[in-house]
Amino acid sequence: MRILLVEDDRMLGDGLQAGLTQAGYAVDWLRDGEAAVAALSTETFAAVVLDLGLPKRDGLSVLQWLRGRHDATPVLILTARDQLEDKVRGLDLGADDYVLKPFDLDEIAARLRALERRAHGRPEPVLAVGEIELNPAARTVTRAGQAVELTPREFDLLQVLLQNADHVLTRRALEEQLYTWNEAVDSNALEVHVHHLRRKLGNELIRTVRGVGYMASSTSAPA
Amino acid sequence: MNGAAPYSLRRRLVWLLTGTVAAIWLLSALLVYQRAHHQADVLLDAQLTQVADTLLAIVAGGEVEHFVEELHESSRHNPVPVAYEVWHSKHGKWQRLVTSTGHSGFVSGVAPGFSEHLHLGARWRFYAVQDEDAEYRVVVGQAHAARAGLAREIGLSLLIPAGLALPLMALAIWGAVGRSLRPVETLARQVSALDARALAPLDESPALPKEIAPLRAALNALIRRVTEAFDNERRFTADAAHELRTPLAALKVQAQVALRAQTADSQQHALAQVIAGVDRMTHLVEQLLTLARVDPARREIAPPLDPAEIIASVCAELLPQARRQGQSLTADAAPGCTIAVTAAWLQIALRNLVDNALRYAGEGARIEVRLARSGSDCVITVADDGPGVAPALRSQLSARFVRGEVEGEGCGLGLSIVARIATLSQAKLELSDGLPRADGGYGFAATLRFSSTSSQTRSDPAG
Repeated sequence: MRILLVEDDRMLGDGLQAGLTQAGYAVDWLRDGEAAVAALSTETFAAVVLDLGLPKRDGLSVLQWLRGRHDATPVLILTARDQLEDKVRGLDLGADDYVLKPFDLDEIAARLRALERRAHGRPEPVLAVGEIELNPAARTVTRAGQAVELTPREFDLLQVLLQNADHVLTRRALEEQLYTWNEAVDSNALEVHVHHLRRKLGNELIRTVRGVGYMASSTSAPA
Repeated sequence: MNGAAPYSLRRRLVWLLTGTVAAIWLLSALLVYQRAHHQADVLLDAQLTQVADTLLAIVAGGEVEHFVEELHESSRHNPVPVAYEVWHSKHGKWQRLVTSTGHSGFVSGVAPGFSEHLHLGARWRFYAVQDEDAEYRVVVGQAHAARAGLAREIGLSLLIPAGLALPLMALAIWGAVGRSLRPVETLARQVSALDARALAPLDESPALPKEIAPLRAALNALIRRVTEAFDNERRFTADAAHELRTPLAALKVQAQVALRAQTADSQQHALAQVIAGVDRMTHLVEQLLTLARVDPARREIAPPLDPAEIIASVCAELLPQARRQGQSLTADAAPGCTIAVTAAWLQIALRNLVDNALRYAGEGARIEVRLARSGSDCVITVADDGPGVAPALRSQLSARFVRGEVEGEGCGLGLSIVARIATLSQAKLELSDGLPRADGGYGFAATLRFSSTSSQTRSDPAG
């Protein structure tokens, strides 16, 4: 899952990027409000972790701009401001969650998972399609109750596909959600990961929509 | 409260006003008395001469016996206001001829004209006149007391109503002063109702007399100043707490990352970050303590000093840091500048300015500390050829916890500390373009402008 981290403090940003990467996220880290607006206007992120006190453009202004263009990307605000009116204002401007510094990495990761879940309209924490079940918190996958070993990248790809089950995802959309700017993407990397997933989970789950992309489908009958 | 017994303004005013009026009244009664006395003298002297002249004319007319009888008769009904005697000279010897009723004889030998003699134990005024042949002499006399009595009567006629009016006046003043002082009581009630923890300016809507309104205005100005200082401190505490949260969050996150790191490299990196984070928090806490230490209450009366030595010691202290960062740090201090400033504060201010330059000017930068005279001022400038600060941003820099756009490990307190020291030392902090860079731009410069001790008299507190 690719998320955008906007935090001006170098040490905190560095730590969050490392910590959230450990938790399985692809994290792009920006350090000012203008850069965040530029990134959000061209790319899609599963969620945004937004600090409020940012140089060049304040976090709340970034949030306002984002909601102003009807972008529903989940936004989690990180802030040192603990006044009630600050929280109310942030949430009223369209923030989905509000975490006060200092915080726990696990809490941020859990809140991000909750945000993604809600963004996809799922109340239950486990993603399930057919006999495949994916637990984002534990980062485990089972097939008919049997644990399946996946690499982190395979897991992320499967998670994106399952979150958008029965929707076709283009190659570009998938790549955008899996890779940060700092990662070089091989032209056939996606095919390789899909191939491995099919080998581990069966051929029926992931369908190739020729010329468009991929889709996870609960109906096992291939066309 | 120096222990002086409080006095009643009302009582004092009543005494002062009635006393003054009574004194004025008494003085005018005295003047009236004197004037009346004088008038009585003139009037009664005229009466004396008139009576004497008339008597002499009658006596000289040779009808003495007849006249005397008539006079006696008439004076029984209409007493003549004066006593008189008629003398007759026979063969050079004076003989008393007639005496007014009820009088034993006057002193003998009253010379013609006005004179005063003791008569019957009292002072009398006499007037004597004689005919051309010195045959008859008439002496008229009047007790002096009559004149004084007349004057006293006139004087008293003025004093008696005053005596009645004074108590009434005192009562009226008592009431009027009480009424006039009522706004003061109202004000006192308002002030005593103030809550020290939530100071709010007094309600300015009730109209106050011109003499008391300035008191309320001054009180309100004081309340506003105190509230502002309170708010400032409260905001500072809140800001400081916020500023501590971010480095704390960074520490926690980095420590968690280190715990979970799967490679030695990433663990090392995270742990190094933890140590750097602790250093950073140490710096922040030290700066907070410094800011707290620069307290007006701790200000020492500073003897004039030459800043050159302090500049040299600060540069020497920070030179190793500059060397590590490949920066050049030079000091150029002109001799002969003396300023009145607390030495420890000047040291703190300079260290912060140089430290700021070292932090923000970047590697390989040139930093210059200059001490110069400018007119009657002593000017200390710390200039660098780093990236500089946009003029629009400069004014915000001395606010607490504001950092420039440039990357740095600062906590945003350095310039606040310098600005506070400048204010308390009656110096001016000016932020401007610094040294020229190779690319044509300018670095950053901070200048402390002290008025030299020779011209301290005209300097006034800046805050």
